[in-house]
Amino acid sequence: MKSIRLERVSKSYDGELIIDNLNLEIKAGDFFALLGPSGCGKTTVLRLIAGLETVDAGRIFLGDQEITHVPIHERKINTVFQQYALFPHLTVFENVAYSLRVRKMAAETINARVAEVLKMVRLSGFEGKYPRSLSGGQQQRVALARALVAEPEVLLLDEPLAALDLKLKEEMLTELNQLQDKLKTTFVYVTHDQFEALTVSDQMAIMNPQGDIEQQGTPKQIYEFPVSRFVANFVGNTNIIEGRLHISDRDYQVEVEGLGMFSVYTPTEKLWMIPGCRLLMSVRPEKVLISKKPREGFSNSLQGKVVDIIYYGRSTQYRVRLKNGQNLIVFEQNEEHFPQESIDWDDEVHVHFQKENVVLLEH
Amino acid sequence: MKKALRAIFTQESSFVFSCPAVLWQFVFLYMPFAVLALYSVIDFNEVTGRYFLTAFYYREIFTSLYIQIIFRSFLLAAITAAVCFLIAYPVAYFLALKGSKRFKTFLLFSLIFPSWTSLIVQVYAWFFLLEKNGFISWFLQWTHIISPSFHLLNNYFTIVLGMVSCFLPFMILPIYAVLEKMDKRFLEASADLGADRFETFRRVVFPMSLPGVYAGIMLVFIPSFGEFAIPTLLGGSKYVFWGSVIVDKFLRSRSWRLGAALAIIGIMLPILLMCCVYLGRAIRERYRQRQSKEYTEYLNANKDLWG
Repeated sequence: MKSIRLERVSKSYDGELIIDNLNLEIKAGDFFALLGPSGCGKTTVLRLIAGLETVDAGRIFLGDQEITHVPIHERKINTVFQQYALFPHLTVFENVAYSLRVRKMAAETINARVAEVLKMVRLSGFEGKYPRSLSGGQQQRVALARALVAEPEVLLLDEPLAALDLKLKEEMLTELNQLQDKLKTTFVYVTHDQFEALTVSDQMAIMNPQGDIEQQGTPKQIYEFPVSRFVANFVGNTNIIEGRLHISDRDYQVEVEGLGMFSVYTPTEKLWMIPGCRLLMSVRPEKVLISKKPREGFSNSLQGKVVDIIYYGRSTQYRVRLKNGQNLIVFEQNEEHFPQESIDWDDEVHVHFQKENVVLLEH
Repeated sequence: MKKALRAIFTQESSFVFSCPAVLWQFVFLYMPFAVLALYSVIDFNEVTGRYFLTAFYYREIFTSLYIQIIFRSFLLAAITAAVCFLIAYPVAYFLALKGSKRFKTFLLFSLIFPSWTSLIVQVYAWFFLLEKNGFISWFLQWTHIISPSFHLLNNYFTIVLGMVSCFLPFMILPIYAVLEKMDKRFLEASADLGADRFETFRRVVFPMSLPGVYAGIMLVFIPSFGEFAIPTLLGGSKYVFWGSVIVDKFLRSRSWRLGAALAIIGIMLPILLMCCVYLGRAIRERYRQRQSKEYTEYLNANKDLWG
């Protein structure tokens, strides 16, 4: 268990700058998720840490030791590859034993360690099987066992669940979480799936398409308090409303064209928050209440017309057209079999949300 | 109509489509082979005017020099395959894993290019290069590496040289194909798990390329076993091999029955070898199973590992 630190790292392929001056710190023992859209360079970051690529500039540290120029096979870092890359000519046992055989360990030790790690991933009894005869989930677990058997300081996971179906994915996420709790190894998990990242990690970082890290923090911090429009949109769903800021005596209000004034709140004042500036309000759909009759006790209430309803089972999504023509998305939990009031297409509705649930973003 | 078409394309009727090929094989391979086999065991008694079964020609082969000739050919084919393998593997490895794309295409082309000309022409080219007034002989004499009385032709080394130069592409191409197709992520995974280049080669690249190596050995060994033009042209009359003996029996001395018996034995030898390989694999598989059984027993003995 060691930390990873990237200092001013740059990397380009064929003259195209993928990673530019990146700083990233991953604490020892964290389950860290690196989340970003496809092609943003997050896999490159992982490959740089693993040693599969060399940096053009900058330094990489494992704990206190600089590993920028340590060759890949001497780094105490192992990777679970995206398509697992299990050796097809070796049995499950030999696949898992690979790193121990390479280190010329005694047969006794190898037997014991392989048995232990296979038990940990619940694959005891599969030793003699070949990878091709295993299911996707089992292959995934062999890849995990193979990477963990050498007891790495850091485990890198490159979209490890991308090839699995949803149900299996959820199972594996829980298993990964439990495994990391037990081992305390630093896990670095790269994914483009915000659901995986939110579920599994202690700490996460959001990478934008330019390869810069926009925000780093706990999943809750990132979901509840995104710092930019990109983060708010990429992690979860959100409604973005454009407006102009008014400040009167520590009371923040946003004026939106065609909708009037909104009461808003910000826990921390930012430098850009000056009266009259243009800004964005982000409101999560599940923080908005929808009803046919007006309700009391909300900081902000609006009227609109339902234009679209999608039934998801545990929740229903409404799309409400506001007076200024903008659509507002609302999630409603389906708590009861027969709700008090059923909302239908083209119904005139009221939507409400509290000012604490509005996140102000720089325009 | 559609249904009928679909029925034709189902697996059960797929034999309809394989019929022409099977028929071809039957008429032009198995039937002549059967005739050959019959010829080798049936003789004609001129006194009684009757045909009779005999093992005479086989006895003749096993009690004379002929069997030695067959083994000598076998050895030559084995040496050719081995030398081809030793040269071809590094070439294929370099082509598949190291060379730049444009360079690769050029090298592959120059490898295959000689095979466009007939084998006989290639051998004659070697013949004219190596003969006493040939360019290579002249050059080596001129640089005083060999004395004027030294002959480059008509020795074992020259035969192997000719064989290797003709059959090398058949070893390189299948190995190259396998290495080229190999997913480079296996190399990354191996390095990631702590293996240096040599260990990666030993444990991943080479074992995964074995199908190509086997194919290459087959492609080189079998034709060089029956090859007669190269040994005859480059080895002169000093070296007699299986292929040239058969040619001689059929075309010159007209003892077709002896030639047929020689052919049958020669064909059986590689088949026997293949059987040995399969047997060896089966034994290895059984050994592996025993090993994994031992491992299971080890686990049972150390129950605490299971918790």
